[in-house]
Amino acid sequence: MAQDKRLKAVPFWGCMIPLKYPQMELALRRTLPNIGVELVDVEGFTCCPDPIYFKARDKFNWLTIAARNLSVAEERGLPVITMCSGCTSTLKEAGFLLAEDPDLLAKVNSRLKRIGRQYSGGATVKHAVTLIRDELGVERVSESVKRPLDGLKVAIHYGCHLLKPSQIMGVDDTDYPSIMEELVQATGATPVTHSEKLLCCGKGCIEADLPLQMVFDIFSSIEASGADCMGLICPTCFSSFDLGQIFIARQRNKEFNIPVIYYFQLLGLAQGLAPEAVGLHLHRVKVDPVLEKMEEVRTRDAE
Amino acid sequence: MKKIEVDFDFRQKLNRVPGGEHHNYCYQCGACVPVCPSARYAQGFNPRVIVLAALIGMEDHLIRPDSPIWLCTNCYSCYERCPQDVRPIEVIIALKNMAVKEGKAPEEIAKYSEPIAKTGLSALMAPSVNARRKQLGLDEFWSIPVEEIGKILEDEESD
Repeated sequence: MAQDKRLKAVPFWGCMIPLKYPQMELALRRTLPNIGVELVDVEGFTCCPDPIYFKARDKFNWLTIAARNLSVAEERGLPVITMCSGCTSTLKEAGFLLAEDPDLLAKVNSRLKRIGRQYSGGATVKHAVTLIRDELGVERVSESVKRPLDGLKVAIHYGCHLLKPSQIMGVDDTDYPSIMEELVQATGATPVTHSEKLLCCGKGCIEADLPLQMVFDIFSSIEASGADCMGLICPTCFSSFDLGQIFIARQRNKEFNIPVIYYFQLLGLAQGLAPEAVGLHLHRVKVDPVLEKMEEVRTRDAE
Repeated sequence: MKKIEVDFDFRQKLNRVPGGEHHNYCYQCGACVPVCPSARYAQGFNPRVIVLAALIGMEDHLIRPDSPIWLCTNCYSCYERCPQDVRPIEVIIALKNMAVKEGKAPEEIAKYSEPIAKTGLSALMAPSVNARRKQLGLDEFWSIPVEEIGKILEDEESD
């Protein structure tokens, strides 16, 4: 693939990333231009809205607010790049339902008329990792790497909403996905498989104990795999795992201390950025073991 | 043999909520069960049984604050696996919508969904957000057209 291939996309930041984990926004803004993605920020987006609580409250309102966001994107005529699996889920499912059911689209548009908007089905939405793989190619990522993460073992957590339902998301085989393995490999790191790789993070469940059991099982499986860290692409999963490990340490007296790293932070390290330049100092579970491992490998290679 | 009476009025109500109508396609194969994390972790949660209860029309069982529907993790594994396009998760969400309308939802639903109507956001805008963003060299958080959200949501029944 041509190294000079560039792609303009409208970023849909959602609310968790810019408000709760701005380090992820920072990592995206720093790494994406290096692989040919030009972010064209636009005004007028709101929360996607959230596919758990707001959708549970009123699906039609959820759909209408999503359609409003899609109409904002449609005006720009550029693909939408999402950074959060929840936003991806809402915007893609809304687009799918409105394409599937013209009566529903008409009902939604009659509501949007109140604010002088219409949605005509023209927005395309892709999560950053999907957009990169589909439009630029994974090799474009490898080409941007200056300090390969050789020897770093990354346990991938896919999360649910990047892949499922495949009828709507159209990203990968949901039982044997490979998109994240390919992208992790492109940084020079080694993806490590583990038995709970495809388990849900649990954050979308109202009950508090159930997700914590799931987090416990996921980290037990990662610990057994010998991975140095977890790599993921969703801020909700991140919150379940970074903060979740603190809760587990308190409630179950078990300290995993497995750093949780958003994919574009890993990519930033591989592109030669300092850990602070991608906000890695802001994580609850300290990322030092990862940085030490990188240093260790570098020293060994230099000898 | 005990006779089961199906409450078709309830099923008609469910059919009118977007996604609820797919419950009619279920043939009770149970493919959704082994892939369901809530079925694995929560006592008493079974997506096949929830759809069965919907097919019978067991309103009192399904529409209440401690109904099993609230234990769904929203993972979409059932949607992925279902050979009948029931989209069990969407049926569960439709049931949740009915419970909210009737004031029979747990308080978390209002608590976590209300900020969107007020601020256009679901994450809270903590006072320290912009300081943190500045520290990282990011611009201030942008403005959200919350008045448009207000107009979309007001007087929901008027259309």
